[in-house]
Amino acid sequence: MARQEMIAMILAGGQGSRLGVLTDYIAKPAVPFGSRYRIIDFPLSNCTNSGIETVGVLTQYQPLELNSYIGNGHSWDLDRNNGGTFILPPFLSQEGNEWYKGTANAIYQNIPFIDGFRPAYVLILSGDHIYKMDYARMAAAHMEMKAEATIAVIEVPWSEASRFGIMNTDENGRVLDFEEKPAEPKNNLASMGVYCFSWEVLRQVLIEDEKDPNSKNDFGGDVIPKMIEGDYRVYAYNFGDYWKDVGTIVSLWESNMDLLTKPDEINLRDLSWPIYSKNPQRPSHYLGPHARVSNIAVTDGAEILGEVRNSIVGYNVTVAEGAVVKDSLLMPGSRVGEGAELTRCIVGMNTVIEPDVRATPQVKDGTEDFLNPLCQDHITVFAPGLIIRRGSAIAGNSMIGPAHSRSHPHIAGLNPDHVGREMGPC
Amino acid sequence: MLTDAMGLILADNRRIQLDALNQPRALAAVPYAGRFRIVDFTLSNMVNCGIKRIGVVALTRYKSLMDHIGTGAWWDLDRMRQGLYLIPPYINPVTRAPDRTDAQGIIDFIESGDQRHVFISSSDYVSNIRYRPLLERHLESGADMSVYFARDGHIPRAFSLAIELDDQSRIRDLMIDYPGRGSRLNAFGLIVISKSLLLQILAEMMARGIADFSIVGLLQLYRQFSIQAVEYKGLLFRIYDTASYFDASMRVLESQVRCELFSTERPIYTKVKNRAPCIISPESGKVNNVLASDGCAIMGEVENSVLFRGCIIGRNARVTNSVLFQDVQISEGVTLDHVIVDKNSVIKMGGKLLGQVGYPIVIGKNSIV
Repeated sequence: MARQEMIAMILAGGQGSRLGVLTDYIAKPAVPFGSRYRIIDFPLSNCTNSGIETVGVLTQYQPLELNSYIGNGHSWDLDRNNGGTFILPPFLSQEGNEWYKGTANAIYQNIPFIDGFRPAYVLILSGDHIYKMDYARMAAAHMEMKAEATIAVIEVPWSEASRFGIMNTDENGRVLDFEEKPAEPKNNLASMGVYCFSWEVLRQVLIEDEKDPNSKNDFGGDVIPKMIEGDYRVYAYNFGDYWKDVGTIVSLWESNMDLLTKPDEINLRDLSWPIYSKNPQRPSHYLGPHARVSNIAVTDGAEILGEVRNSIVGYNVTVAEGAVVKDSLLMPGSRVGEGAELTRCIVGMNTVIEPDVRATPQVKDGTEDFLNPLCQDHITVFAPGLIIRRGSAIAGNSMIGPAHSRSHPHIAGLNPDHVGREMGPC
Repeated sequence: MLTDAMGLILADNRRIQLDALNQPRALAAVPYAGRFRIVDFTLSNMVNCGIKRIGVVALTRYKSLMDHIGTGAWWDLDRMRQGLYLIPPYINPVTRAPDRTDAQGIIDFIESGDQRHVFISSSDYVSNIRYRPLLERHLESGADMSVYFARDGHIPRAFSLAIELDDQSRIRDLMIDYPGRGSRLNAFGLIVISKSLLLQILAEMMARGIADFSIVGLLQLYRQFSIQAVEYKGLLFRIYDTASYFDASMRVLESQVRCELFSTERPIYTKVKNRAPCIISPESGKVNNVLASDGCAIMGEVENSVLFRGCIIGRNARVTNSVLFQDVQISEGVTLDHVIVDKNSVIKMGGKLLGQVGYPIVIGKNSIV
């Protein structure tokens, strides 16, 4: 194989358990985002825009949807003669390999893959952040400082610093120590989970880490602290632009809404740094003769006949006449029936909301069984592939999943058309 | 599924003028329905019926067409065997004029394919059409070639191929652009013919010095060869002038029309552009009965219109009954009614453009008004 100076490895195997039913059957990086994207479109597009031609995607948890979405990387221009996109699941070998034990172990198990390209640098990215970043500039900083590891950091408000992994640096940006969620933070530079390593160094560190029985084989928890303690040249790279972790229901909802409230921050309209996605082959979206729409993002194949405000509407979504949708995320293929009323809802892919369903923070007569601590701020979540029965009332902070089709069949059912079919208006 | 046929798309038609719309581009490359071009329908129809080898015959102004179809990847036609072939015209190196050997490119393409039949389609109609019934009827009938026709009656403003049929539905008379009230059956540009007969016809054409190869030219051979006519009952939009183009564009605002044109069983593929989702801003006015596309930003009022990708509608602008091609900018306070605005054009502040029903105003590509 031809040599590649830098390759990227995207950690896409996590379950994303704080997203609850949204990731019951799909990995977090495959969760829809911003009307026409999946979360993983952001790191993949950043790679292609940064000139990186080889990307390994490490999958483990529920990889089917993610694998079929990524395919050979064609949608991101990552189908290359030399390199390209590689899906890297855990595998068996003579030594009896096992599941990826942690993020560092996932890379450790793929040392032969990386060695095949003889790279000088390896980028480690995670598949669950929304941001636009030129990794080439980060790599340039890495080279300039003759660093062995460079960690992208972002300034967070001091008041929130104790929620993050915080880097304490000297005046040259060299990392002195790293504290995971410090009670009394000494700095406000939070790690973004984006790392650039010199491969020879990382390779050695990973081999040593693997031998350590006390290690959880995690980048943030083990590898980075060990490198700092071991006096490796670890530098912070300050990233000043928009970056959002979409690990929770609230942050997923908020970062989607950022597209409407702060469109210039992530700026998806910037043609010099496009975010690519696998495009559905559907006609343009249609806004009906009596539609009332304001402050929405909408894309191919959607059909809005009712009222939609302050919402993100995915491809192939239909909103019937008389329906009222506010402050919500309608993920691709979902349908909202006549007279339904949704406020602060996240409706999963291909879920059908039947007519006259009410799901708003004002609903008081909802079923208590649906309330879920993962849902905060009166946001209600409907799993992908459900049918919510006509006239159901659902209170804020509810989370409804496939299991409820058995416990509450009069409210939730499974959508038989969900699997293997692109749903649309026709 | 494999069909034992190759496809040949005639991308241009010298007889058809759509004002400024097909000046910069071949007819096949004329944009349609928000994110498509006319050729997308023909290419997708062919691919959806299992054709794996498609030639696109260009005459002139084919840069935009080439940009659009590229390697054919969007239609899965970037194959190692077969796939997409662009057949540009042959220019005489001395006179710089199209050569008498114009048809040689077509002959080479047909000869090197191993399929037994050839579907030939023009680019003057839009339809999501199944080719198989035509091939089946063709084989059953034993005719030399077969053509689809529609009962769309007497087409005003010319461009009709009125046919009369014998009792076996073979063409016995053909009237081109006949202004009087003749037959209500009109052939349209989709023919199936055997490879061997097509090669024979092309060889004779070349020998006689006829360079222009067209659907009409083939149909005119009805006295010499038996031509089976097969009725097509589905949705069909003929594009023969600006008004017919405009009508066909407006019809996609009907949900029934969209369902027929964009069947999920037989998708229409097109070149992918990675534009951001369309944003309809909080300060927008009414946005009703509108087909809008990715990358649009709507801050004004839009009704009964089709917006292609990347259109920007400024505050207090009012766009009604109009078609705006890709990346058109409508500035603040502009009023448009019955207007077709071609790609990259800008309508500056406060302007007012009012066309008439049946006679839309056309603003050419890259204009600043």
